Amino acid sequence: MIQLILFLSIGVALLVSVGFLMRPHRRAEGGSTALVQARQALSTLQGGLLPAELVARVFDRTDLDYVESQGSPELRKLFLDERTRVALLWVSRVREQLLSLREFHAGSARFYAQLNPLTELSLLFDFSRLLLACRILQVFVYVRGPYAAPQIVGATAAVAAKVCSVSQESLAFLTPAYAAAGANRAARTARF
Amino acid sequence: MDVLQAADDLRRRSLVNYPRPLDRLIYLASMRDYNTGVYYHDGLASRYSPEVACEAMADCHKEAFRQLVANSLEEVVEQLEAYMASTHTSPGDFVAAWKGLEPYRVAVPVESDPLAAQFLFSTFKVALAILESRLHLPPAALSA
Repeated sequence: MIQLILFLSIGVALLVSVGFLMRPHRRAEGGSTALVQARQALSTLQGGLLPAELVARVFDRTDLDYVESQGSPELRKLFLDERTRVALLWVSRVREQLLSLREFHAGSARFYAQLNPLTELSLLFDFSRLLLACRILQVFVYVRGPYAAPQIVGATAAVAAKVCSVSQESLAFLTPAYAAAGANRAARTARF
Repeated sequence: MDVLQAADDLRRRSLVNYPRPLDRLIYLASMRDYNTGVYYHDGLASRYSPEVACEAMADCHKEAFRQLVANSLEEVVEQLEAYMASTHTSPGDFVAAWKGLEPYRVAVPVESDPLAAQFLFSTFKVALAILESRLHLPPAALSA
Protein backbone atom coordinates (compact mmCIF):
# COMPACT_ATOMS: atom_id res chain seq x y z
CA MET A 1 0.00 0.00 0.00
CA ILE A 2 2.79 2.34 0.96
CA GLN A 3 4.60 1.45 -2.26
CA LEU A 4 1.46 2.21 -4.30
CA ILE A 5 1.10 5.62 -2.63
CA LEU A 6 4.79 6.29 -3.25
CA PHE A 7 4.54 5.38 -6.95
CA LEU A 8 1.36 7.42 -7.30
CA SER A 9 3.02 10.41 -5.64
CA ILE A 10 6.02 10.10 -7.92
CA GLY A 11 3.69 9.85 -10.94
CA VAL A 12 1.74 12.96 -9.87
CA ALA A 13 4.99 14.83 -9.21
CA LEU A 14 6.26 13.88 -12.66
CA LEU A 15 3.01 14.99 -14.30
CA VAL A 16 3.10 18.31 -12.43
CA SER A 17 6.74 18.81 -13.46
CA VAL A 18 5.98 18.07 -17.11
CA GLY A 19 2.98 20.41 -16.95
CA PHE A 20 5.12 23.14 -15.39
CA LEU A 21 7.85 22.75 -18.00
CA MET A 22 5.38 22.74 -20.90
CA ARG A 23 3.35 25.77 -19.76
CA PRO A 24 3.37 28.72 -22.20
CA HIS A 25 6.10 31.17 -21.28
CA ARG A 26 4.18 34.35 -20.64
CA ARG A 27 7.13 36.67 -20.86
CA ALA A 28 8.38 35.29 -24.15
CA GLU A 29 4.92 35.11 -25.73
CA GLY A 30 3.34 38.29 -24.52
CA GLY A 31 6.54 40.28 -24.14
CA SER A 32 7.08 41.15 -27.77
CA THR A 33 3.42 42.09 -28.24
CA ALA A 34 3.50 44.28 -25.15
CA LEU A 35 6.68 45.93 -26.37
CA VAL A 36 5.27 46.62 -29.83
CA GLN A 37 2.04 47.98 -28.35
CA ALA A 38 3.92 50.17 -25.90
CA ARG A 39 6.18 51.46 -28.67
CA GLN A 40 3.14 52.25 -30.85
CA ALA A 41 1.31 53.95 -27.99
CA LEU A 42 4.36 56.07 -27.25
CA SER A 43 4.83 57.06 -30.86
CA THR A 44 1.11 57.92 -31.24
CA LEU A 45 1.20 60.04 -28.11
CA GLN A 46 4.42 61.85 -28.90
CA GLY A 47 3.95 62.22 -32.64
CA GLY A 48 0.20 62.45 -33.05
CA LEU A 49 -1.63 63.50 -29.90
CA LEU A 50 0.62 65.55 -27.67
CA PRO A 51 2.46 67.96 -29.99
CA ALA A 52 1.79 71.40 -28.51
CA GLU A 53 0.70 72.87 -31.87
CA LEU A 54 -2.05 70.29 -32.33
CA VAL A 55 -3.33 70.58 -28.76
CA ALA A 56 -3.29 74.37 -29.10
CA ARG A 57 -5.21 74.20 -32.40
CA VAL A 58 -7.89 71.81 -31.14
CA PHE A 59 -8.56 73.95 -28.06
CA ASP A 60 -7.87 77.33 -29.68
CA ARG A 61 -10.48 79.89 -28.70
CA THR A 62 -9.63 82.32 -31.50
CA ASP A 63 -11.45 80.01 -33.92
CA LEU A 64 -14.60 80.43 -31.82
CA ASP A 65 -14.13 84.22 -31.82
CA TYR A 66 -13.85 84.12 -35.60
CA VAL A 67 -17.02 82.03 -35.97
CA GLU A 68 -18.89 84.32 -33.59
CA SER A 69 -17.83 87.30 -35.69
CA GLN A 70 -19.81 85.75 -38.58
CA GLY A 71 -22.99 86.48 -36.59
CA SER A 72 -24.78 83.20 -37.27
CA PRO A 73 -26.06 81.05 -34.41
CA GLU A 74 -26.24 78.03 -36.73
CA LEU A 75 -22.58 78.38 -37.64
CA ARG A 76 -21.67 78.76 -33.99
CA LYS A 77 -23.57 75.60 -33.10
CA LEU A 78 -22.01 73.65 -35.97
CA PHE A 79 -18.54 74.81 -34.96
CA LEU A 80 -19.02 73.96 -31.28
CA ASP A 81 -20.47 70.54 -32.13
CA GLU A 82 -17.53 69.79 -34.41
CA ARG A 83 -14.89 71.03 -31.97
CA THR A 84 -16.52 69.12 -29.11
CA ARG A 85 -16.42 65.95 -31.19
CA VAL A 86 -12.72 66.42 -32.03
CA ALA A 87 -11.85 67.35 -28.43
CA LEU A 88 -13.60 64.23 -27.12
CA LEU A 89 -11.79 62.16 -29.71
CA TRP A 90 -8.48 63.65 -28.54
CA VAL A 91 -9.18 62.86 -24.88
CA SER A 92 -10.36 59.33 -25.59
CA ARG A 93 -7.34 58.57 -27.79
CA VAL A 94 -4.93 59.98 -25.19
CA ARG A 95 -6.61 57.84 -22.54
CA GLU A 96 -6.52 54.75 -24.73
CA GLN A 97 -2.78 55.13 -25.44
CA LEU A 98 -2.04 55.86 -21.78
CA LEU A 99 -3.86 52.66 -20.78
CA SER A 100 -1.73 50.74 -23.24
CA LEU A 101 1.47 52.25 -21.83
CA ARG A 102 0.36 51.64 -18.25
CA GLU A 103 -0.30 48.02 -19.08
CA PHE A 104 3.26 47.72 -20.33
CA HIS A 105 4.72 49.34 -17.21
CA ALA A 106 2.54 47.36 -14.84
CA GLY A 107 3.34 44.13 -16.64
CA SER A 108 6.47 43.44 -18.60
CA ALA A 109 8.44 46.70 -18.32
CA ARG A 110 10.50 45.43 -15.38
CA PHE A 111 11.80 42.54 -17.49
CA TYR A 112 13.35 44.94 -19.96
CA ALA A 113 13.78 48.33 -18.38
CA GLN A 114 15.93 49.04 -15.39
CA LEU A 115 13.77 51.63 -13.72
CA ASN A 116 14.26 52.06 -10.01
CA PRO A 117 11.25 51.20 -7.83
CA LEU A 118 10.67 54.84 -6.90
CA THR A 119 10.48 55.87 -10.56
CA GLU A 120 8.11 52.98 -11.23
CA LEU A 121 5.89 54.03 -8.32
CA SER A 122 5.90 57.65 -9.40
CA LEU A 123 5.08 56.57 -12.94
CA LEU A 124 2.12 54.48 -11.80
CA PHE A 125 0.90 57.42 -9.70
CA ASP A 126 1.19 59.70 -12.76
CA PHE A 127 -0.74 57.20 -14.87
CA SER A 128 -3.56 57.10 -12.33
CA ARG A 129 -3.61 60.89 -12.13
CA LEU A 130 -3.69 61.19 -15.92
CA LEU A 131 -6.44 58.65 -16.42
CA LEU A 132 -8.55 60.42 -13.83
CA ALA A 133 -7.84 63.80 -15.47
CA CYS A 134 -8.91 62.35 -18.83
CA ARG A 135 -12.21 61.16 -17.35
CA ILE A 136 -12.86 64.55 -15.76
CA LEU A 137 -11.95 66.28 -19.02
CA GLN A 138 -14.32 64.04 -20.98
CA VAL A 139 -17.19 65.01 -18.68
CA PHE A 140 -16.32 68.74 -18.86
CA VAL A 141 -16.00 68.75 -22.66
CA TYR A 142 -19.16 66.70 -23.11
CA VAL A 143 -21.23 68.91 -20.83
CA ARG A 144 -19.72 72.35 -21.40
CA GLY A 145 -17.83 72.17 -24.68
CA PRO A 146 -14.17 72.21 -25.72
CA TYR A 147 -13.25 75.43 -23.91
CA ALA A 148 -14.58 74.40 -20.51
CA ALA A 149 -11.34 73.34 -18.85
CA PRO A 150 -8.21 74.75 -20.53
CA GLN A 151 -6.15 74.22 -17.34
CA ILE A 152 -6.95 70.51 -17.25
CA VAL A 153 -6.06 70.22 -20.95
CA GLY A 154 -2.69 71.93 -20.38
CA ALA A 155 -1.90 69.93 -17.25
CA THR A 156 -2.92 66.64 -18.86
CA ALA A 157 -0.77 67.27 -21.93
CA ALA A 158 2.21 68.30 -19.75
CA VAL A 159 2.03 65.29 -17.38
CA ALA A 160 1.42 62.94 -20.32
CA ALA A 161 4.53 64.32 -22.05
CA LYS A 162 6.55 63.72 -18.85
CA VAL A 163 5.25 60.15 -18.56
CA CYS A 164 6.11 59.60 -22.23
CA SER A 165 9.69 60.69 -21.72
CA VAL A 166 10.10 58.23 -18.81
CA SER A 167 8.50 55.51 -20.93
CA GLN A 168 10.77 56.40 -23.80
CA GLU A 169 13.79 55.79 -21.58
CA SER A 170 12.47 52.37 -20.64
CA LEU A 171 11.90 51.53 -24.30
CA ALA A 172 15.17 53.06 -25.49
CA PHE A 173 16.74 49.64 -25.95
CA LEU A 174 14.44 49.16 -28.96
CA THR A 175 15.90 52.07 -30.92
CA PRO A 176 18.70 51.41 -33.44
CA ALA A 177 20.96 54.05 -31.85
CA TYR A 178 20.71 52.34 -28.47
CA ALA A 179 21.34 48.94 -30.06
CA ALA A 180 24.40 50.35 -31.83
CA ALA A 181 25.66 51.85 -28.57
CA GLY A 182 25.09 48.49 -26.90
CA ALA A 183 27.07 46.73 -29.63
CA ASN A 184 29.91 49.25 -29.20
CA ARG A 185 29.90 48.67 -25.44
CA ALA A 186 30.01 44.91 -26.02
CA ALA A 187 32.87 45.28 -28.50
CA ARG A 188 34.85 47.44 -26.07
CA THR A 189 34.26 44.94 -23.26
CA ALA A 190 35.38 42.08 -25.51
CA ARG A 191 38.56 43.96 -26.48
CA PHE A 192 39.74 44.59 -22.89
CA MET B 1 20.40 62.95 -49.05
CA ASP B 2 18.93 62.51 -52.55
CA VAL B 3 15.42 62.70 -51.12
CA LEU B 4 16.20 65.99 -49.38
CA GLN B 5 17.63 67.39 -52.60
CA ALA B 6 14.65 66.17 -54.61
CA ALA B 7 12.23 67.69 -52.08
CA ASP B 8 14.10 70.98 -52.27
CA ASP B 9 14.02 70.81 -56.05
CA LEU B 10 10.28 70.15 -55.96
CA ARG B 11 9.72 73.13 -53.67
CA ARG B 12 11.75 75.46 -55.90
CA ARG B 13 10.41 74.35 -59.29
CA SER B 14 6.83 73.12 -58.81
CA LEU B 15 5.51 74.05 -55.39
CA VAL B 16 6.55 77.67 -55.81
CA ASN B 17 3.46 77.96 -58.02
CA TYR B 18 1.29 76.92 -55.09
CA PRO B 19 1.94 79.40 -52.31
CA ARG B 20 -0.85 78.26 -50.00
CA PRO B 21 -0.71 74.96 -48.03
CA LEU B 22 -4.21 74.00 -49.26
CA ASP B 23 -3.17 74.37 -52.90
CA ARG B 24 -0.01 72.35 -52.28
CA LEU B 25 -1.97 69.64 -50.45
CA ILE B 26 -4.41 69.25 -53.35
CA TYR B 27 -1.68 69.42 -56.00
CA LEU B 28 0.43 66.76 -54.28
CA ALA B 29 -2.59 64.52 -53.61
CA SER B 30 -3.42 64.73 -57.32
CA MET B 31 0.05 63.40 -58.16
CA ARG B 32 -0.62 60.24 -56.15
CA ASP B 33 -2.06 57.09 -57.68
CA TYR B 34 -5.30 56.26 -55.84
CA ASN B 35 -4.73 52.54 -56.22
CA THR B 36 -1.13 52.27 -55.15
CA GLY B 37 -0.48 55.41 -53.10
CA VAL B 38 2.65 56.03 -55.21
CA TYR B 39 3.42 59.60 -56.29
CA TYR B 40 4.45 60.30 -59.90
CA HIS B 41 6.33 63.31 -61.20
CA ASP B 42 8.05 62.79 -64.55
CA GLY B 43 10.48 65.71 -64.29
CA LEU B 44 11.56 64.87 -60.76
CA ALA B 45 11.80 61.14 -61.52
CA SER B 46 14.03 61.80 -64.53
CA ARG B 47 16.36 64.04 -62.51
CA TYR B 48 16.58 61.61 -59.57
CA SER B 49 14.76 58.27 -59.65
CA PRO B 50 11.08 57.31 -59.43
CA GLU B 51 11.60 56.05 -55.86
CA VAL B 52 13.41 59.19 -54.70
CA ALA B 53 10.84 61.42 -56.44
CA CYS B 54 8.02 59.51 -54.73
CA GLU B 55 9.60 59.84 -51.30
CA ALA B 56 10.32 63.54 -51.80
CA MET B 57 6.72 64.19 -52.85
CA ALA B 58 5.41 62.22 -49.88
CA ASP B 59 7.57 64.38 -47.57
CA CYS B 60 6.30 67.60 -49.15
CA HIS B 61 2.74 66.30 -48.92
CA LYS B 62 3.15 65.66 -45.18
CA GLU B 63 4.67 69.11 -44.78
CA ALA B 64 1.70 70.78 -46.54
CA PHE B 65 -0.69 68.76 -44.35
CA ARG B 66 1.09 69.84 -41.15
CA GLN B 67 1.06 73.48 -42.26
CA LEU B 68 -2.64 73.37 -43.05
CA VAL B 69 -3.50 71.73 -39.73
CA ALA B 70 -1.54 74.49 -37.98
CA ASN B 71 -3.55 77.23 -39.74
CA SER B 72 -6.43 78.91 -37.96
CA LEU B 73 -10.01 78.46 -39.14
CA GLU B 74 -9.94 81.98 -40.56
CA GLU B 75 -6.83 81.16 -42.61
CA VAL B 76 -8.41 77.93 -43.89
CA VAL B 77 -11.53 79.86 -44.95
CA GLU B 78 -9.34 82.37 -46.81
CA GLN B 79 -7.37 79.60 -48.51
CA LEU B 80 -10.52 77.77 -49.48
CA GLU B 81 -11.97 80.97 -50.91
CA ALA B 82 -8.78 81.63 -52.91
CA TYR B 83 -8.68 78.04 -54.13
CA MET B 84 -12.34 78.26 -55.16
CA ALA B 85 -11.60 81.43 -57.15
CA SER B 86 -8.63 79.72 -58.86
CA THR B 87 -10.84 76.87 -60.12
CA HIS B 88 -13.13 79.30 -62.01
CA THR B 89 -16.14 77.29 -60.79
CA SER B 90 -19.25 79.09 -59.59
CA PRO B 91 -19.07 79.40 -55.79
CA GLY B 92 -22.45 77.67 -55.38
CA ASP B 93 -21.35 74.65 -57.43
CA PHE B 94 -17.99 74.51 -55.70
CA VAL B 95 -19.47 74.53 -52.19
CA ALA B 96 -22.14 71.98 -53.17
CA ALA B 97 -19.52 69.65 -54.68
CA TRP B 98 -17.14 69.95 -51.75
CA LYS B 99 -19.94 69.41 -49.23
CA GLY B 100 -21.28 66.42 -51.12
CA LEU B 101 -18.11 64.69 -52.27
CA GLU B 102 -15.80 65.79 -49.45
CA PRO B 103 -12.74 65.58 -51.73
CA TYR B 104 -10.49 66.72 -48.89
CA ARG B 105 -10.86 63.26 -47.34
CA VAL B 106 -8.69 61.73 -50.06
CA ALA B 107 -6.25 64.66 -50.11
CA VAL B 108 -4.44 63.82 -46.86
CA PRO B 109 -1.15 61.88 -46.76
CA VAL B 110 -1.45 58.17 -46.04
CA GLU B 111 0.48 58.19 -42.79
CA SER B 112 -1.16 61.27 -41.30
CA ASP B 113 -2.29 60.95 -37.72
CA PRO B 114 -6.02 60.08 -37.61
CA LEU B 115 -6.77 62.80 -35.07
CA ALA B 116 -5.03 65.52 -37.11
CA ALA B 117 -6.91 64.29 -40.20
CA GLN B 118 -10.24 64.36 -38.33
CA PHE B 119 -9.44 67.84 -37.08
CA LEU B 120 -8.74 69.04 -40.62
CA PHE B 121 -11.92 67.44 -42.02
CA SER B 122 -13.90 69.11 -39.26
CA THR B 123 -12.25 72.47 -40.04
CA PHE B 124 -13.14 72.07 -43.73
CA LYS B 125 -16.74 71.27 -42.82
CA VAL B 126 -17.06 74.49 -40.81
CA ALA B 127 -15.12 76.52 -43.41
CA LEU B 128 -17.50 75.33 -46.15
CA ALA B 129 -20.49 76.21 -43.99
CA ILE B 130 -19.04 79.71 -43.54
CA LEU B 131 -18.54 80.09 -47.30
CA GLU B 132 -22.05 78.81 -47.92
CA SER B 133 -23.55 81.26 -45.44
CA ARG B 134 -21.75 84.08 -47.27
CA LEU B 135 -23.27 82.98 -50.57
CA HIS B 136 -26.73 83.39 -49.11
CA LEU B 137 -26.11 86.87 -47.77
CA PRO B 138 -27.50 89.84 -49.67
CA PRO B 139 -24.80 91.65 -51.77
CA ALA B 140 -24.90 94.68 -49.45
CA ALA B 141 -23.93 92.57 -46.46
CA LEU B 142 -21.12 90.90 -48.43
CA SER B 143 -19.55 94.20 -49.45
CA ALA B 144 -19.77 95.52 -45.88
